[in-house]
Parts: sequence; structure tokens; C-alpha cells
Amino acid sequence: MEAFIAGMGAAFTPYILWLILAGTVLGIVVGALPGISGSTTTALLLPLTITMTPTAAVAFLGSIYCAANYGGSITAILINTPGDPSASATAYDGYPMARRGEAGRALGMSAFASAIGGIFSVLVLIVAAPLLARLAYQFGPPEYFALALFGLSMVAAVGGDSASKNLLAGASGVLLATIGLDLTTGVERFTFNVPALSDGLDFIPVLVGLFAVSELFERISQRHVKLEAIKLNALKLPTLADFRKCAKAIGLSSVLGTFIGALPALGATTAALISYNETKRWSKYKEEFGKGAIEGIAGPEAANNAAVGGAMVPTLALGIPGSTTTAIILAGLMIQGVRPGPHLFTEQPTLLYVVFGSMLACNLLYLVLGFGFAKAFARITLIPDAYLWPGVFILSVVGAYAPNQSIIDVWVMLAFGVVGFFFKRYGFSPAPLIMGLVLGKMVEETMKQSLLLFDQDWSQFFHRPVVVTLFAITVLGLAAPLISSAWRRRYPKVPPPTAR
Amino acid sequence: MRRQDVIVAAVALAGAAVAFGLTFRFTSTTPAAMMSGMGAEFFPRLVIGLIAILAVCVALGIGNPGMDKPAPIPGIVWITLGVMALYIVMLEVAGMWLASFAIMVGLGWLWGERNLVKLSALAAIMLLVVYGGFVKVLKGGFPAGLWS
Repeated sequence: MEAFIAGMGAAFTPYILWLILAGTVLGIVVGALPGISGSTTTALLLPLTITMTPTAAVAFLGSIYCAANYGGSITAILINTPGDPSASATAYDGYPMARRGEAGRALGMSAFASAIGGIFSVLVLIVAAPLLARLAYQFGPPEYFALALFGLSMVAAVGGDSASKNLLAGASGVLLATIGLDLTTGVERFTFNVPALSDGLDFIPVLVGLFAVSELFERISQRHVKLEAIKLNALKLPTLADFRKCAKAIGLSSVLGTFIGALPALGATTAALISYNETKRWSKYKEEFGKGAIEGIAGPEAANNAAVGGAMVPTLALGIPGSTTTAIILAGLMIQGVRPGPHLFTEQPTLLYVVFGSMLACNLLYLVLGFGFAKAFARITLIPDAYLWPGVFILSVVGAYAPNQSIIDVWVMLAFGVVGFFFKRYGFSPAPLIMGLVLGKMVEETMKQSLLLFDQDWSQFFHRPVVVTLFAITVLGLAAPLISSAWRRRYPKVPPPTAR
Repeated sequence: MRRQDVIVAAVALAGAAVAFGLTFRFTSTTPAAMMSGMGAEFFPRLVIGLIAILAVCVALGIGNPGMDKPAPIPGIVWITLGVMALYIVMLEVAGMWLASFAIMVGLGWLWGERNLVKLSALAAIMLLVVYGGFVKVLKGGFPAGLWS
């Protein structure tokens, strides 16, 4: 409790409050730019944290993470282009509402539902993360090795539809994590005698390249697609009747979103899509869905923001990212010299409570900003590509160059931009690669430590119940897509008989 | 087997083969007597093996529902990539500010905006923001080019 009060005190200093406000506004603004997702926003703004203290960096990143998710829904509603994949379900009903002149009502409900979902999940995070950390405090290197393998196996479900391509991207990320000096033997690996590579690949150029630069190539390759933008002539906000109508959807989706977000690698997009279906299933007005149902905005928006807090539970308590954006935040914390995990709860509890405090404050802030400045944020979506993307490119270059003042990092950024572009063209997602890059070191280190502990006897892994359980879940998780596709091949779905 | 999956698998296998070859060039400065446990090459080779297996899975369609053939890449993507590469080279010659101003105006023009005054004004504002934020506030430095 003392740490909680101290953390809240640290979270609400004028400097941190200013950073939370800046993070929230930047998160909404950049998240609202068409084609820039929450993870791209976080990757693009990550270099700004290099000169900050860990506490300030954590507050800033936490605010960006929360706000960018909300920012993504602005483009979904106004131009039918989700700023973030997690807002895709919002577009189903948000855009039809905007087309019939109710953009303000849709944006207002999105801000309200997002804030409620976000606040609920932060409260769950405050309770659940320390409990999970207490449980994980008993873990040794073998358990962490099994946990990291489990986290990596979950990349099969992240990104694209192809489990084998997701795993291939994840394994490539792990291989990239081996670049640099091997700490146990002192051997330089894949460094090509470039001193800058001795410490391994820097996260920032890779993240900025994979997310921002690849998205730039993607946008210019689809320049012929014309988007119809809705103008906000009059801002009509949701009524009390709207809030009453959506209360059940918001409550249900907040719980669902938090739970789904907490599962490693299952993020806000899955949460929003499942919540959309559940909201429709439990609604009295099913026929309105897809044509501009306000519940169709409330449900997914509450869920995708609730997933933010949920995803922070495994990230902070175990050091296993719960989503792509938390993988980027994890990278940001590692750059700051902070390694999330159960030890963080005993060694740096204040830092954790700053995360909780900043996320709570950010959710309240964008509720205010969402209602007050919806019209201003809406204008962001009208910026033409020819003005927007050169600016994004310059920010990417600055972000890649600034931390180490190295031109090599700018080349690395461009190279990973090209890799990310080809990834998307061939059905890969950059998210598993990032997960592999972030978790790769942990897998190798814990494996080596475990084997030293076991005197190089691999069979010792199977003498530890937690390890065996985690291995079993990992194998089941990996086998599930194969079993289900084999099942579908053997028992193909018979189409229902047509009515005569 | 779909052609695009075979291409993906071939690229992954070629990359894995190159990486595997590179693991034989790891040289240790630690005396052999002080070495314990597995060597530095063990883990990368394990991962390379996994990549090779997964590449074969992709080619055979195991856990991979397949995808439509991607549309051809428009020429503007390659031109943009070339301009960006040239920009990075120019960073060290012309310096951050001149090179960045030129690329912002150039890319905007390349992507269809013909109002050079508007493009120049936006580029100047953007660079002022970067200068204020990164140089003045965060005390960062950027390549000054031959001007220094």
C-alpha cells in the first residue's frame, strides 16, 4: 500500500502529468493518422524516451499505448480505414453512423466506451499483476525458459492467418536476437566486424523500420485507393439514452477485453472482434448491426481498450509481451535498463504504480479530450498522403538516428522497412518477428542457465511440474492449428440445405 | 504447392543456409579450458534448424492456408526506395537539414502534390519541430554534412 501511494505520488508530479498529457495527445493524434496503428505510433515515438528517466519513459509510453488505441477508432469512424487493426470492428457500425451525419455521436460513444474499458482493465491490472508476480516469484531459469517458449509459441496466433508463417517470422526474430556478443563465451556472432553490432541489433531502428517505413511503402503502393472522408459539420454527442442502451455492451466487453488481452499474444484486435459478436448476440437490436448500431461501437471500443490493461498483466508480471505494442514497450523498458518480471514488483514497485497511475490518468484524459476536441482530431484524417508520409519518414529517420547518432541505424531502419513491406505482401506479419526479437535473448539465456543448473542434463527439465505443464500447453498450442486443419480436411463442412 | 509459398520457403532456406555457414566463422577469445556448457554456435544452429523445418511447412501448406498472388509492385515504390537510399547517403554530405528539406519536398512532389510552395512550407515547419524537439529539448545531434 505504501508503494502504491508512493507510486501514485510519483505519477502525479507536474512533470509526469505533463508527459502523460503529451503522450495522450500524441497518441491520439498519431494514432488517428490513416494507416498508422497503435504499435507504429509507439515505435515511432519510442526514441523520445531515450533521454528520460525510466519512470518518465514508462508514464509516456503507457499513455501513448492507451491513447493510440482510441485514436485508431477516429479514422475507422470517419474514413472507414481503421487507424489500428483493433478498430476494424468499430468501422462496421461507426462508418455507417458517420455517413448518416452522426459522426459526433459515434466518436463520443467511442471515447466513453474506450475510457470505461480502459479504466476497468487498469483496475484489474492493479490487482492481478502483483498476484501473478507473486506466483512467478518462485520461478527459476527453467520455468522462465518454458514460459518464454510458451510466449514464443503463441506467435503462431499473432498477425496473419498462417500459423507456420507466423512461427517462421518468430524464429527469424529469435535468430536476429543472437546477433552480437555471446555473453557466456565472449564470441561475436553475425557481427561482420561492425563494432555497432557487438551489442546486438538495436530495437528502435528495427521497430521503426518494420512498422512505420513498411507502412509507408504499403501506402504508396495503394495510392490509387481513394478514401471518402466524412466532414464533421455539427458535433452531436451521445445522449443519456445512448449510454443506457450501451451499458450492457460496455460491461460485457470490458470483462472480455481484459481477459483476452491478458492472454499472451492475443491482443486488442481479437478482443474487439469477439466482443462485437458477443455484443450483437446479447443485443435487443440485432438488426441494426452493420447499419450503424451505436452498441456496435461501444462493445468493440470498450474491449480493445480493456485489452490494453489486460496485455500489460503478463508484460509486467512475467516479462512476456501480451501484444505487439507491449512487445515494443517491453523493448523500450529494456533500453532503459528495466527488465519486467516478478522481481520488478519487489525491486521497483514505484515504477509499476507509475504505469498504473499514468494509464488511469490517460484514460480519464482522453475521455475529456475525446469529447472536447473530436472535431479537431477529425481534421487529422484529412491530411493528404503527399504531406503526411514524408513527415513520417523524417520522424522515422530522426528516431532511428538519434539514440546512437549512427547512420548505420538509419540503414538498418530502411532495410527493415523493406523487409516489413515484403513480409506483408507474402502474408507475414511483423508482429511475430518483434516478439521473437524481444523474447529471443530470454530464451537463450534461460536455456543456458538451466542447463548449467542441470549439469547439461536436458531430462532435468521434465522433473519440474511447472515446466512440464508449460511445455504441454506449448505443444498443444502449436499442434492446435494442425489438428484443426487436418480435422477440416477429413470432415469438410457440409453446406446447409437450401430452402425450397 | 503454391508458387508464392515456394518462393517464400526458398528465400527462408537460402537465408538459413547462409546463416548456418556463418556460424562456422564464430571465433572465441576465451581459452578452451575456461569454456563450459554449450558453444556460442549451438543456439543459433538450433534456431536455423527450426527455420528450415518451418520453411518446408510453409512450402507444403502445413499450417498455411495459402494466399492470393500479390499484385505487382508499382514502380513508384522502387523509385521511393531509391530516393530514400540516396537521402541517407546525402545525410553525411549535405547534412540533416538540407537533405531532409529536399527529400520532404521531393517525396511530396513524387507522390502527386504539385504545389511546391505548400510542400516547402510544410517541410520547413516539420524541420523546425524536429529541431526544437530533438536538438533543443532532447539535446540530440544530427549529421552536419560537409558544412561542418
